[in-house]
Amino acid sequence: MTTAAPHDVPHTVQAGTPDLAARFPGLVAPDERSGYSGWIVTADHLVQVATALRDEFGYDLLSSVTGVDYLPEGKMEVVYHAFKTTGGPGICFKVQTGRDDPQVPSLVSVYPGAELQEREAWDLLGIKFTGHPDLRRILMWEGFNGHPLRKDWQEPYYEDEAKPFKSRSPEGHVYRFEDRNPFGDNVRYPEDFDPEKWTPENPEDLLYKSLKTYQAESPDGIETDHIVVNMGPQHPSTHGVFRFVVALDGEKIVNLKPVMGYLHRNHEKIGERNTYLMNMPYTDRLDYLSPMSNNFAYALTVEKLMGITPPERAEYIRVIMAELTRIANHCMCIGSLLNDLGAFFTPMIYLLEERDLILDVFEATAGSRMMVNYFRFGGVARDIPEDALEKIKGLAFERLPRILDEMDRLMSENEILRARGIGQGVLTAEDAIRYSATGPLLRGSGVPYDIRRADPYSIYDRFEFDIPVGKNGDIYDRYIIRLEEMRQSVRIIQQALKQMPEGPVMVGKPQYQFRPPVGESYGRVEGPKGELGFYIVSNGKPTPWRYHVRAPSFINLTAFGPMCVGQKVADTVAILGSIDIVLGEVDR
Amino acid sequence: MLLEYIAIGVLLFLATAVAAIAIFLGELFGPKRKSDKKAQPYESGMLPIGPGTRRMPVRFYLIAVLFILFDIEIVFFLPWAVVFRQLGLFGLIEMIIFIGILLVGYIYAWKKGALEWE
Amino acid sequence: MDAALIWEWVIKALFLIFFLLGGFAYLTWYERKALARIQVRYGPNRAGPYGLLQPIADAVKLIFKEELTPSMADKVIFILAPIVTVVPVMLMAATVPWGPPIQLFGRTINMSVADLNVGVLYITSIASIAVYGIVLAGWSSNNKYAILGGLRASAQMVSYELALGLAFVLPILLAGSMRLMDIVTKQAEMGWFVLIQPVGALIFLIATLAEIGRAPFDMPDAEQELSSSYHSEYSGMKFALFFMAEYEKMIVICAIAATLFFGGFLGPGVDKWPWLGPIYLLAKIIVLLFLMIWVRATFPRIRYDRLMALGWKVLLPTALGLVFVTALGILLAEAVNPAMLWIIPLLSLVAGVLAVGVIERALRRKEYARR
Repeated sequence: MTTAAPHDVPHTVQAGTPDLAARFPGLVAPDERSGYSGWIVTADHLVQVATALRDEFGYDLLSSVTGVDYLPEGKMEVVYHAFKTTGGPGICFKVQTGRDDPQVPSLVSVYPGAELQEREAWDLLGIKFTGHPDLRRILMWEGFNGHPLRKDWQEPYYEDEAKPFKSRSPEGHVYRFEDRNPFGDNVRYPEDFDPEKWTPENPEDLLYKSLKTYQAESPDGIETDHIVVNMGPQHPSTHGVFRFVVALDGEKIVNLKPVMGYLHRNHEKIGERNTYLMNMPYTDRLDYLSPMSNNFAYALTVEKLMGITPPERAEYIRVIMAELTRIANHCMCIGSLLNDLGAFFTPMIYLLEERDLILDVFEATAGSRMMVNYFRFGGVARDIPEDALEKIKGLAFERLPRILDEMDRLMSENEILRARGIGQGVLTAEDAIRYSATGPLLRGSGVPYDIRRADPYSIYDRFEFDIPVGKNGDIYDRYIIRLEEMRQSVRIIQQALKQMPEGPVMVGKPQYQFRPPVGESYGRVEGPKGELGFYIVSNGKPTPWRYHVRAPSFINLTAFGPMCVGQKVADTVAILGSIDIVLGEVDR
Repeated sequence: MLLEYIAIGVLLFLATAVAAIAIFLGELFGPKRKSDKKAQPYESGMLPIGPGTRRMPVRFYLIAVLFILFDIEIVFFLPWAVVFRQLGLFGLIEMIIFIGILLVGYIYAWKKGALEWE
Repeated sequence: MDAALIWEWVIKALFLIFFLLGGFAYLTWYERKALARIQVRYGPNRAGPYGLLQPIADAVKLIFKEELTPSMADKVIFILAPIVTVVPVMLMAATVPWGPPIQLFGRTINMSVADLNVGVLYITSIASIAVYGIVLAGWSSNNKYAILGGLRASAQMVSYELALGLAFVLPILLAGSMRLMDIVTKQAEMGWFVLIQPVGALIFLIATLAEIGRAPFDMPDAEQELSSSYHSEYSGMKFALFFMAEYEKMIVICAIAATLFFGGFLGPGVDKWPWLGPIYLLAKIIVLLFLMIWVRATFPRIRYDRLMALGWKVLLPTALGLVFVTALGILLAEAVNPAMLWIIPLLSLVAGVLAVGVIERALRRKEYARR
């Protein structure tokens, strides 16, 4: 099969979104490329337009910021997706700039949530955001040469623009490049660079300098000694190789900077080398605790691009799997949060038991417990086997409701948990929106924003479920919300099991290498950790031109620093645990 | 009576010997492959910034001072408790007066916020 | 003083040391097994039957570990610190009587290394020395986590020493002696002191948990926050000594708690068969140790400021109140009627309930203020 029909409809203003061209004549133009939508804003007026979008039109949540390198056109484009926390479709606006010295005004003053994402775009694409308060590299190290996501940047063992590489296909030779070049002379250095003579500046200096940019208050006028302490990357409780640097006044935090990238493998670059289907198993590796959700978001995005919809039964299976994933993920999150609070593994292990039962279902269905690779474009890989379906029924109707109540009784009223959770790590609703927080972090702060309800995808509009919302936005609220969300997931699974029809689980024949029509697409799901989005640009080739992951763990970390200031060191660990990050997704 | 203390002296000697032997065993059998990286102080895998030992929050000293105050009080309690039955009501009243004075200090410290760890 | 006396001391001291060493090894096994059972898993089960050889395997492993010394460390203090931590713990156990005196080889042998007439005072003073080890370890490591952890640990220990000291006063008051043997024999006639002073025993147990840095007061080695704090830089046998100190302290403290409040070696039939004494004491220690493990498996960690507040604002005044309640009860019992002794548990329960109520109210108010 080649491609689905290209949707070359003329550009119209999408229902429910404002006509920006009418509001800003001359400054904003509709994006009229075939397959594209949204608005193109002139760089000089970006801040003005964004402010109006936020204040006049109510697009208060800047969800995604990313760049695209249009090498053939000699342009760089920064793509923004903004949404309303009250629900409804989002708006997409873009800024174009030259490739040689790309400069775009920073939106951090309007949407502080853009901070880490703009740093990422600078790091990977080399787009300078003028006016950004702290424009440093974020995933690569400070001494890194070049910006890897630029299309003319080639990795050390560069072989070909896209997979499958000719050296390995079709015979299927597999080898590592290191084996071929034992002395590493395939590594290319810039012209004027000699690694033997290079003495690095301390790349940490920039970080520590940016850490010093806080206003120290000393009410009695006495200068106090501030200690700078590294927590991580080799630290028992940063959930992996996450690192943050704190400036401490005694035990109180005066400033905190997250540092990431220790697990960076340039997921997006590899994704752009892969064919569309090759990326499916690769998304499992993002947030390895909730692989089904990752599959879901990616499948949705590509399906949007191709203009196909999966059959009914597949939709139900997808929902069931995604909700099971949510339960499994929240089990892990609550367990490790309690562990961070010093509850020595007991709740963790109790909850892991439930997670294992869910993983059993995944194994029976997809063949793998964690790296499921289960979704396909236009359906799922295979139907749920009969015994796995029975297991799901047993879980959803009998075991999980009982266990969740039991866990609630076991943990929620614990005096120490309440004392350590209530009032700690507070994120107000306004701040949560400003920092582009999504998922339980946003809902814990009292914003009832759940994509399953606000902008329903798949068949979520058919189910009855509540969106639990917190009141204070503290650690305890986030914990309670996760517990409640698991209950709601169980409700959804119950309804889905009852409504699920018989039928095929895949539309048409399975397709391995196809060419979606030229265009862009942004698909998102309410993942367990927040809004998981994929932004994909197709140029009609079997591999995506741009493959961007809007990772909730990563963007939720924008709020981590502000949440921690004024707290004790001991609480940072709990706050981090309540954000719920997975480093595979943060660092990508 | 004092003989008992010699028994404790014997125990002290033997206990120290056991601890020293343990450390010696470790030194004897453990591998010794020193390197600069290993000798760095641990700070989550990063190079530490600034010296390790430095000025500490003054609260710790405050706690130390308060501790000395109240620990002495408790030391007075112990002999008092031993002879309490002989002292009778007199002992109780005496101790109430003694504690009353210290209690004033305790309440003062509390109200001054010396016991807050914020 | 003769040669036999010296031999008696040496044998008893060695016996105690080896008991503590073996106890430490098997306490780690016991804790891991108990935690595992609570957490629906197996625990150690590879080395030997039921994993019984696990502690030995651990010890051998630790001996063959490299000993690292940080470059900027104060070498002498760095080596001294674990010794200073572990020795007082062994000394502390010296005064605990393991049974009534026995006749052996024509000699009367006390079942303790040294039955001091100031036994309780001796225990409190020796216990304080252990704080030095921790501060010195933190200081000499030249590591930010270590020094912060060491200071936190020592501040915590001295804070709870006050409540602990006051809890020590209660059995002394009741027994009228600081000699542990006297305290035990007194319990034979008056009943276990835990019955007369239940709240005091509770305060004692809570304060000991904090004193030895066990969950939920395990701030000193809050792994999640400071990565093991004061012993961050220690490895191999030096680390093992800190570990040993912690677990031996658990045993010793439980032995002392059992002696002061739970009747020590007393039990049915001890008068007739003195060899039952050590068995009873051991059984009591094991039960108390299980309580500690149970708490660890159940409770999250208290935050540091709350922990200090609990020590200074709740346990200290409550313990002080209990001392006066006890004194009053003794006076009334002597002056009016021995049955008046039972006013002590009543009044102390009232005091305890009052203290819990005050915490509850303070917590609720704080929660309220934040909302």
